[in-house]
Amino acid sequence: MAPVGPGAIVVVGAGLAAASAVGELRRREFDGRIVLIGEEPLPPYERPPLSKEYLRGERDLGSVLVRPASWYGEQGVETRFGTRAVALDVRSREVVLADGERVEFDRALVATGARNRRLPIPGLDLDGVLDLRTAPDADRIREAAGRGSRACVVGMGFIGAEVAASLRTMGLDVAALDVFGVPLERALGPEVGRAIDSLHREHGVELHMGSPVAAIEGTGGRARAVTNERGDRVACDFVVVGLGVRPNVEPVEGSGIEVDDGILVDAHLETTAPGVFAAGDVARHRHPLFGPVRVEHYDNAIRMGVAAAAGILGEREPFADPHWFWSDQYEANLQVVGVASEWDRLVIRGSVEERSFVAFSLSAGRLVMAAGVNRGRDVRRAKKLIGREADAEALADEGTDLRELAGV
Amino acid sequence: MTEFRTVGSAGDHPEGGLRAYEVDGEPVAVARTEAGWFAFHDTCTHNACSLADGDLEDGTVVCVCHGGTYDLRTGEVLAGPPPEPVRTYPVRVEGDEIQVGTEGSP
Repeated sequence: MAPVGPGAIVVVGAGLAAASAVGELRRREFDGRIVLIGEEPLPPYERPPLSKEYLRGERDLGSVLVRPASWYGEQGVETRFGTRAVALDVRSREVVLADGERVEFDRALVATGARNRRLPIPGLDLDGVLDLRTAPDADRIREAAGRGSRACVVGMGFIGAEVAASLRTMGLDVAALDVFGVPLERALGPEVGRAIDSLHREHGVELHMGSPVAAIEGTGGRARAVTNERGDRVACDFVVVGLGVRPNVEPVEGSGIEVDDGILVDAHLETTAPGVFAAGDVARHRHPLFGPVRVEHYDNAIRMGVAAAAGILGEREPFADPHWFWSDQYEANLQVVGVASEWDRLVIRGSVEERSFVAFSLSAGRLVMAAGVNRGRDVRRAKKLIGREADAEALADEGTDLRELAGV
Repeated sequence: MTEFRTVGSAGDHPEGGLRAYEVDGEPVAVARTEAGWFAFHDTCTHNACSLADGDLEDGTVVCVCHGGTYDLRTGEVLAGPPPEPVRTYPVRVEGDEIQVGTEGSP
């Protein structure tokens, strides 16, 4: 029985979550009007390569598109690329575009993503201070890497760490600065962070950790060095800043839709305005396992997009994905499943020294996160264990097949 | 006409498991599942990881590196970042011999 479909569906934002939702709507044979509105002039593309293969010049733009540019027309999806949506009127059920056009909707999906956070660091506006979110941003970093020989990376979260690794791989001298003691500490804690710290040091990155960046210094309007509050001064030809993101909630501000570090959505990805959904980096989702959480990763964007499409078409299945992502740095493949900002026990399986391990984070006896270096199989197998009571000894024992713990 | 090459012993191949063999110099992964035997090129089309290092899940092989998920029968990408399907090969078991066809899907 075909479900009774909604009228026009407007998707605000044209990143991965949006593309995933649009694909799923058509896969489910929704044949009504779909309008896809994106601020960037490009059709939806995948961002993971931007800090890695695309940045290093190993893959071109065409190969990172989610779907060929022709797909949207073939599928009868109206696109407004290069167009910003400025407001969403939930009463008149219209999306207002920057050029004044108003696009009517019956159901809407907001998947506007996030943008890089700009902290009040003196010198941030100097030439040669770059950041990474879009393909043109990656182009600018690649061009700077071609001209210069020494890079400073400010912030050793996932973007900073991947950019540092890529720039080293491209042969540049790289220095990196961060307020945390080790890379990725904020996301994954100090134990996993130490393994990533030694990885970068072994590859010749000069790490200045544990002190906040004080300023970017320049001469003639161009960045020349970065200093931290401890007094380290690191000279470089250009700077890449990676200090986290803010969700792009502006189109829903003033609409009455509730916002709190992201657009609040319920377990089914619906906002506080009926018929308006949100997905991807912009959505703060009431997760059945983790509570309210806003996730800024690839796999989540795809899965949330699919789930939002299902919700738009009337399904009421809660979105309960355990959240999985990876990061590639040099030859190391890091994978993480679960979400946790704190835990009371850490169980290691494998060898941190040999960079072949999984760190299981337990909270009140339950597995809340598993972070592995060069242990993709174990991390994937741990997916089914997230949120469940954990047997710490069995997790640590290399002889245990994690699939058996999950009962599969 | 595809020719079949013996790549290994069925008795040595783990039940429900994956193993990489070589066919005319090409690495080919063979999967033994409840639904039968499947063979496909052992290189993920995303970042060239070995698919034999991955996991078999519900008629798919999941790449260990980035979660690229292929249909065992067709090699089609069902999820994840791989840009292209993986080449599949005919496979049969004659006695104890695992035999893989030399001509895969395009």
